[in-house]
Amino acid sequence: MQTSYSLHTTAKLENLSQIRDFVETSAMELGHDPDFIYHALIAVDELATNIILHGYQGQGGKLEVQVEQVADDLILRLRDEAAPFDPTTLPAPNLTLPLEKRPIGGLGVYLARQSMDEVHHRVTSTGGNELTLVKRRPGQKT
Amino acid sequence: MASEFQITVSQQQGRVPVTVFHINGDVIDANSFQQLEAQAQAAFEAGTRNLLLDMSKVRYISSAGLRSLHSIFMLMRADTPGESDETMKKGLMDGTFKSPHLKLLNPSSAVTDTLRVMGFDMFLEIHRNLKEAIASY
Repeated sequence: MQTSYSLHTTAKLENLSQIRDFVETSAMELGHDPDFIYHALIAVDELATNIILHGYQGQGGKLEVQVEQVADDLILRLRDEAAPFDPTTLPAPNLTLPLEKRPIGGLGVYLARQSMDEVHHRVTSTGGNELTLVKRRPGQKT
Repeated sequence: MASEFQITVSQQQGRVPVTVFHINGDVIDANSFQQLEAQAQAAFEAGTRNLLLDMSKVRYISSAGLRSLHSIFMLMRADTPGESDETMKKGLMDGTFKSPHLKLLNPSSAVTDTLRVMGFDMFLEIHRNLKEAIASY
């Protein structure tokens, strides 16, 4: 059974649908339920949007999305060739502040981190970014 | 294939006229939110002061979509002398404030979850029924 899926695409807003559809289809094939998958979609969309708008400054660039199942973990990877930026260092937004006073981009990363069990960043050997997102299959429901 | 993002507009009459945006695109994300905002702006300029967003076909909303809900919320209060910022802030803090001008109809449970995580249910009413939504304005 296939446990790893890969999409090579261009980091453009118009491709967000393609990226989400790819993650959804792959995660469904891996047997995950809709609720679980929805959270993975949130994380991928938010982080891919940041790569598109901030990483590549809207100019486009390569984006690789990988979906993999390792034991109980669904692992998503986003690889780009943009300048190194670690979104995990952004502080959590102050949700008591009115939205217009919150820093740009903080909300999306927060939502992504709320949706996954782990989010890791590393700089790749080519000087780009790799984000690894992990979501653990939930335990037996009572 | 990206789905078409389309908004169908209907006018309803409760105690006050209410413009309803039936959002036919299935996502409000960084790629589609501007259309929603532009349409809300156009409606406001045409005189709309009470807006209901029919989210029943929306499968997914990202933080970009949430920001646009907030922009529209701010837009719809731009013309209301009776509602002070202070009153709103106090109401938000103690959970009593809900926008009288912008409400949501039938978001899916997944979308409702996102709204709740980001605190949007604090200031936007969520209705499950069109008639009841219109009557609430």
